[in-house]
Amino acid sequence: MLVDLLQNTLDGLMLGSAYALLALGFTLIFGVLRRANLAYGPAIMLGAYAATWVHLQFHAGFLVLAAVTIAGAALAGAYVERLCFAPHARRGRGAGDAGAIASMVGSFALWMQLEEAATLWLPKHLYSFPPLYDGPPLALGPVTLRVEYLAMLAAAALACLGLRRMLARTRFGLAVRAVVDQADAARLAGINVPRVFMLVFAIASALGGLAGYLIVAAHEQVTPMLGMWSTLKGMIAMMLGGLGSLPGAVVGGLALGLIEAHTQWLFGPQYRDLIAYLILFALLATRPSGLWALFRRSDAPAQ
Amino acid sequence: MMIRVLLAAALAALAAPALAQRLAADLDCKPTKQALVYDCRIALKESGSGKPVSGAEVSVGADMPSMPMAHNVRPAKAAPTKQPGEYAARIELEMHGEWAVKLRVGGPVRDQLILHYEFDEKGAKRAMRGAGHGPHGAKHQ
Amino acid sequence: MDEYTLGVLTNMGLFSFLALSAYLLLVAGEMSFGQQAFFGVGAYAAGIGTAMWGLPLPLAVLFAMAAGAAAAWLVGLPTLRLRGLYFAMATLAAAEMFRILFELFHYQRTIDGALVGPDGTQGFRGIRWVLERGIEQESFLALVWALVGVVLVALAALERTRLGATLRMVGEDPELAAVLGVNVGRVKLAVAAAAGALAALGGALYAHHNTYVEPRNFDIMLGVHGLAYSLIGGLGTALGPLLGVAIDIGLLESTRIFQQYRMIVFGGLVAVLLIFRPRGLLDEVVVNRIAGALRHRRTT
Repeated sequence: MLVDLLQNTLDGLMLGSAYALLALGFTLIFGVLRRANLAYGPAIMLGAYAATWVHLQFHAGFLVLAAVTIAGAALAGAYVERLCFAPHARRGRGAGDAGAIASMVGSFALWMQLEEAATLWLPKHLYSFPPLYDGPPLALGPVTLRVEYLAMLAAAALACLGLRRMLARTRFGLAVRAVVDQADAARLAGINVPRVFMLVFAIASALGGLAGYLIVAAHEQVTPMLGMWSTLKGMIAMMLGGLGSLPGAVVGGLALGLIEAHTQWLFGPQYRDLIAYLILFALLATRPSGLWALFRRSDAPAQ
Repeated sequence: MMIRVLLAAALAALAAPALAQRLAADLDCKPTKQALVYDCRIALKESGSGKPVSGAEVSVGADMPSMPMAHNVRPAKAAPTKQPGEYAARIELEMHGEWAVKLRVGGPVRDQLILHYEFDEKGAKRAMRGAGHGPHGAKHQ
Repeated sequence: MDEYTLGVLTNMGLFSFLALSAYLLLVAGEMSFGQQAFFGVGAYAAGIGTAMWGLPLPLAVLFAMAAGAAAAWLVGLPTLRLRGLYFAMATLAAAEMFRILFELFHYQRTIDGALVGPDGTQGFRGIRWVLERGIEQESFLALVWALVGVVLVALAALERTRLGATLRMVGEDPELAAVLGVNVGRVKLAVAAAAGALAALGGALYAHHNTYVEPRNFDIMLGVHGLAYSLIGGLGTALGPLLGVAIDIGLLESTRIFQQYRMIVFGGLVAVLLIFRPRGLLDEVVVNRIAGALRHRRTT
């Protein structure tokens, strides 16, 4: 019984690390651009599909596949940014924020477009994908750990720390923070705001690509559902942790993983999703600033 | 004209029902040289007795469970074959995956059947029911 | 009219209810990713009404609309204070909860020797009221569009009243509305309920058109499409959502050339369109200009 609890907790953390990585990318875009990118998952999927194609054609090693996924996702993300976010960047940031809605709907349109492009490229419903580590899962006494998920956890932690370091210590990070605080003032101070947005978007998409590679390597398969699934999980984890907060994204992702692992064990997959959504709904209705804000009162909720 | 149509519908509503019978069908689809085009044989029978139903007008359409109303596959009229209760039709789908095939039966018997089949490059087989919950739609996480 | 055209036109009409439902909320300033849930509630409620309780279709549809309004009210109440992406995510979560509840919902009866009723993930078969009365496809199509017409007339009338202006004001600037004495919360709840009833109406008709519904029909894709049609067609008039539906389902889906690449074309079109018209094709500016031109014509 205790072993089950421990295993489920570990499973939850491992699952959550995937969600955390996804959430980090999604949050970066939302935190800096104040816009939600619904084409996030499909861009990742396109990267994963590119890697699958490379795998089918050349049987390349995992480093190449990871690089292809990241590059593919970043390229697709850049396309989305140019078409849906750059043109609306300066539109009304007032109460209606028409720019945000236009960007979100545009990103939805590109979501559909990228998904169709991917399924036209590789039409089968399932492709097998080589795992990162071709051995048995690690056994630590009575519990098992999977190497891919450990890599994800490490990647999520490193990415979060790396991003925070970048934001705090580099010139680019300073520019980003200035833009987040007051985009107009930053512009006046000579910062190339559109370029900042584009680079942030690229970093976020690349992070998503890394998440995507690790996820499909862990599952050893790629399907067309990856796009919507990635966006949803990234969004939910971000919301759980607190919109626009990087550590919040990691916390939210891990929390989501834990919730899912335990409820699936106790009640089955349908209840797992039901309870996850219920918690999200309840959290939004009562404390929209997310879980992370419960611990850090100084962080104001991004809105 | 609109009023007449509505009146007719209202009168039909009050009229005695059972202008449709309960039928059952089996589908056997084979791929053709063209991608996503299938030659299907439909075995139409009565639901209870299993007796084959001949001489009906059958048209075959399809919709995807996940985005109903948005995939408009052209319904194909099925032609009767030499076997009693069997009809043949060629349908063209938009993609592989699970489709809800809709059979509209008219003529001496009327019914509408929805059958779930999984289509791929090899043909079609009855879909296993139950939605998916993982990132890949079905089975495990 | 051939079966294909009949099918496309009927689908356009059914989808219009969903798009109009999203439109109502958008006008009130809220973006909902969850209207598909009420479409589903309407489908199941009407199906249960006719196939299991023996109600005639009109009564079942009214029951479905009431159920949709109630469900929307239930979702609207806790989310009243939310705005923007928070509200959108909350409605998405709620809609997914409804969909999973449909997957868990089992309620069956043996009627005329056959097992009828919602059976979880297997779906709800045997919604045969329309089929059994010999109502032809043309008649059903006319019914659907007649009801769309009724809704359009009602919405047009609403635009001219004080309530309609209040609604648009709440959407544009809720703080101003509150200062002017409008009970913003009550207006939003009322709109949510009306939008829920509207979506449920579409769902009820859809269930009877298809004779079969399943939980997967009512997933996020459906809702986001309805929302997109409203945003693309334009928020200035109730005809906007219909325009969006017509462009995607009517034009792109049905033309041979585009069918394979429909989403690529549509997606690209939408993204580009939004650069120039962020509030859709028939946005408030365009509608005011057209209305002005018509008024000018009438007086000269």
